[in-house]
Amino acid sequence: MALPIYATTGQKVWHYTYLTICAFVLFFLIAPLIVVIPLSFTSGVFLSFTPEMLSLDPEGFSLKWYKNMLGMCNDPSIKTMCSDKWKTGAINSAIIAVAATALSTGLGTVAAIGLSNPLMPFRKIIMATLISPLIVPLIITASGMFLFYAKVNLIGTYTGLILAHAALGTPFVVITVTATLSGFDRNLVKASQNLGANVFTTFFKVQMPLILPGVISGGLFAFITSFDEVVVVLFMGGPETVTLPRQMWSGIRQEISPTILAAATCLVLISILLLTTLELLRRRNERLRGITH
Amino acid sequence: MSSVDQNQTLMTQDGVPLKVSLKRSQRRSKMRAFMLVFPLLAFIFISFIVPIGSLFTRSVDDTLVNEVLPLTFEELKNWDGQDVPGEPMFAAMFMDLKNADKIQIGRVSTRMNYEKSGWKSLLKKTSRKMKNIDGPPYKEQMLKIHKRWGKVEFWQSLTAMKDPYTLGYYLNSVDLKYGYNKSIEQQPEKRQVYNLLWKRTLLVSLLVTVFCLLLGYPVAHLLATLPLSKSNLLMICVLIPFWTSLLVRIVSWMVMLQQEGVVNDTLVAFGLPEEWRLPMMYNFTGTLIVMTQILLPFMILPIYSVMKTIPPSYMRAAQNLGATPTLAFLRVYMPQTLPGIGAGSILVFIVAIGYYITPELVGGKDGRLIGNFIAFHMQNTLNWGLAAAMGVILLAGILILYWLYDKIVGIDNMKMG
Amino acid sequence: MGSSGPFVRYENVQKSYDGETLVVKNLNLDIAKGEFVTMLGPSGSGKTTCLMMLAGFETATHGDIMLDGKPINNIPPHKRGIGMVFQNYALFPHMTVNENLAFPLSVRKMGKADTEEKVRRALDMVQMGQFGDRRPGQLSGGQQQRVALARALVFEPELVLMDEPLGALDKQLREHMQYEIKHIHESLGVTVVYVTHDQSEALTMSNRIAVFDDGIIQQLADPVTLYEKPENSFVAQFIGENNKLSGTVGAISKGVTTVDLGKHGSIKAAAVNVSKGDKTTVSLRPERIEFSSKKPAASKPSLPAKVLELIYLGDHIRCRLDVAGNDEFIVKVPNSSLSADLKPGVKGHVSWKTEDCRALDFVG
Repeated sequence: MALPIYATTGQKVWHYTYLTICAFVLFFLIAPLIVVIPLSFTSGVFLSFTPEMLSLDPEGFSLKWYKNMLGMCNDPSIKTMCSDKWKTGAINSAIIAVAATALSTGLGTVAAIGLSNPLMPFRKIIMATLISPLIVPLIITASGMFLFYAKVNLIGTYTGLILAHAALGTPFVVITVTATLSGFDRNLVKASQNLGANVFTTFFKVQMPLILPGVISGGLFAFITSFDEVVVVLFMGGPETVTLPRQMWSGIRQEISPTILAAATCLVLISILLLTTLELLRRRNERLRGITH
Repeated sequence: MSSVDQNQTLMTQDGVPLKVSLKRSQRRSKMRAFMLVFPLLAFIFISFIVPIGSLFTRSVDDTLVNEVLPLTFEELKNWDGQDVPGEPMFAAMFMDLKNADKIQIGRVSTRMNYEKSGWKSLLKKTSRKMKNIDGPPYKEQMLKIHKRWGKVEFWQSLTAMKDPYTLGYYLNSVDLKYGYNKSIEQQPEKRQVYNLLWKRTLLVSLLVTVFCLLLGYPVAHLLATLPLSKSNLLMICVLIPFWTSLLVRIVSWMVMLQQEGVVNDTLVAFGLPEEWRLPMMYNFTGTLIVMTQILLPFMILPIYSVMKTIPPSYMRAAQNLGATPTLAFLRVYMPQTLPGIGAGSILVFIVAIGYYITPELVGGKDGRLIGNFIAFHMQNTLNWGLAAAMGVILLAGILILYWLYDKIVGIDNMKMG
Repeated sequence: MGSSGPFVRYENVQKSYDGETLVVKNLNLDIAKGEFVTMLGPSGSGKTTCLMMLAGFETATHGDIMLDGKPINNIPPHKRGIGMVFQNYALFPHMTVNENLAFPLSVRKMGKADTEEKVRRALDMVQMGQFGDRRPGQLSGGQQQRVALARALVFEPELVLMDEPLGALDKQLREHMQYEIKHIHESLGVTVVYVTHDQSEALTMSNRIAVFDDGIIQQLADPVTLYEKPENSFVAQFIGENNKLSGTVGAISKGVTTVDLGKHGSIKAAAVNVSKGDKTTVSLRPERIEFSSKKPAASKPSLPAKVLELIYLGDHIRCRLDVAGNDEFIVKVPNSSLSADLKPGVKGHVSWKTEDCRALDFVG
């Protein structure tokens, strides 16, 4: 990207303008998330930096909003609602996300194996159907599911939400696993059989370990989809199934307090964790295929 | 390879024509592949396709009124529509209302109120006082309960509901309605909201797409041309927001943009008078800013992946052939990135057009989009038919765009992260 | 074990993928124990299909394949016990080299100590002993090739198949590996069936070569016979370089005929599978021809020629001539016998021995 020696003044000006624009955009993308993190440690009650915080005075920082989030309500300076709703929300989210992920990963992986068979009939239209939950806007999905699930009495139940979230998560599994399989060398199966392994040994010792990174990353996509989902929960959830995003939603609508920032910080950390895992999986997958850096 | 004699069919060892046996084994293979896909297909069908289908049926369904007021609609066939109907119609209406229970009347009156406001209170009052009527003539007594029974517009509005299915909700979605005998007419001025809403939704989606393209293109280019170690670092700035919960990002923007937020505080610190604090949240601007930031990765990633495949030798060749760097960029590099631009733009537009959460939380009154009204009718007014019709129109638009996307990049090439 | 019969036998084998066209047409081939047989041919000639049928990944549409006297059509690949080196090696990327080699032993439920010993010996054989803990992705192409070879041999199969195993290597490494494979074959005494489209590879390694074209074995012979005495024009053309002259077969006596080249005169040639009156393509190897500016003795077959171009190739000079209307006629002149009068534009004669000139089936 460095400029050549012969660059004209105009080119130099343009080059630095371009770099400035890029820096601005990247800042625009990441800044809001960065701002949230220090603010969640404020000792004040407002969502802005206090003079103490700006001067890095330890007095300006505290963990009280995190305690508030965890339901430790003995701080008299906090007037906002304090309960263990965040905790139950997190537990509910985890239950629903884990179950939905298990369902979508299982069904999705098996389907992807079938889809990658070159003889699969109606491949294109089936693929389009399986991916459709990703394309249809959530508000439409949620409305349709509300109308239908109400008829079968699944509104406000874990089962309803798990089924709904599993449907939303499967496209990711199907896409990642099919992509992994398309890079899979069919000769490896032949080699395994030639070396004396039967169908089951071949599947578990050769095929499965090789597509596992794809399955896991698809599963992670599905998990985060469910874990962050709020529209379907708004339409189909009941008082028993308040999830973390649902709790956050009502927090934002009622009164946005630093407790929400504490929860947001936790969620940012979770996504960084997931992203790192995905990146490691991707690297492992590339290494296995002999693409070395 | 050469063709076998025409009159000699290839046989397998057990004497079956080879073509037949090949077909048979292919069918088995197909069947096996399909059996693997089937569980998921069935699952998606039941948990997703059928619910979406129920939106379709709901959007045209008008059986409720017909079921509750069968006699009235039977009688309506004989009515000329000019004057207030006579005794038989009133009798039919009376009997229908008498046979219906309270919940049914509640629902029917809500439905009828969409066609003509006033029906709700009319039916409510009538059904409350009906026990005072113990025999014919009904017309006189009903007119006594409520004078609206004597207004011809109310009777005329019934004709819009005479069939068990209706396109009325679709008409309502675009500020039209059924008039007498299903003629199509404009909604009254004060009820016209949806055309504005559709236009605003399209405008917001378009603006967000343009902003994303303008902001995303240079960044994608930078990421694609930097050495891997540096671009990986910058890529994190794109991927972390992409992976962070939508609500978290909205919260963070609220902290940034509100009246007492970080941006305004900073501006004030740099000398902006207190009373000039910029209103950037809970309005159109807020929706635009936040949606642009949220959707930016959807633009950057496809363009980046296309740019990554363009070898630098093209730019070198162009310059070697005498083009200035600018010209080389415009004539050689940019045209090759068009598939990425197309994919990114359509993707951003598709996602933006169906947005609900973001405008709901940061949009305020003039930042609300079609998605918000679908939710509003689903949850507040319970006008599910209208919500469903709006959803179906939106969905149709999106499917067309998606089809375009498939033409440009192919469904199979959809990339994530 | 049926030591009397052949080790591998293809009996009237046919193969079709679509039920309409035959990729392999009525193949008959016997391979003796310990032999190194190469299936050589252009792509699409059916050679790989033949190999895959032997390995069990394709089934013959018709006919039998016998291994050691027993038909194997109904035995699944994993029970055939045939070693195989795949085109792109097909090493399992998620396993180390050691684990790759141990795989066939572990599916055969071999004990740990035995396995380790065999893996070590197999790796030493291909000089890869110190790479056992690497993954295939960390090895070079040549090293992967060696590992693939070791893996195909580690469970001591009596028959090893190789499907263009050297195709992905560069020229120098390929030649080196040819010798190694040849030596391994000689020292272990396994039977090898080798598929390639590279004629020099086939000539270097094989006991016998089956030249494939159009689903048929065009000629099955040892390398010398194949090169010196091609049975038809395809083989003459496919193996080595070859000058072609078109003419008509005259009277044949004792296997020698006079080919009429029309206005360019006539020449004597060995008649191979042709009869009087046939159109023929006469084949002459470039290194069996002499150019001389003087007319050779009348007893020696010769034709007038004009030098068009000389290309210096180090050990020999390629000389392009115009002979009997063919201006792509090549003569290889050894460096040592280069004479000063060989220059473009010089006219003279080309001559050869009658038995080096073969009248074969006509190709257009």
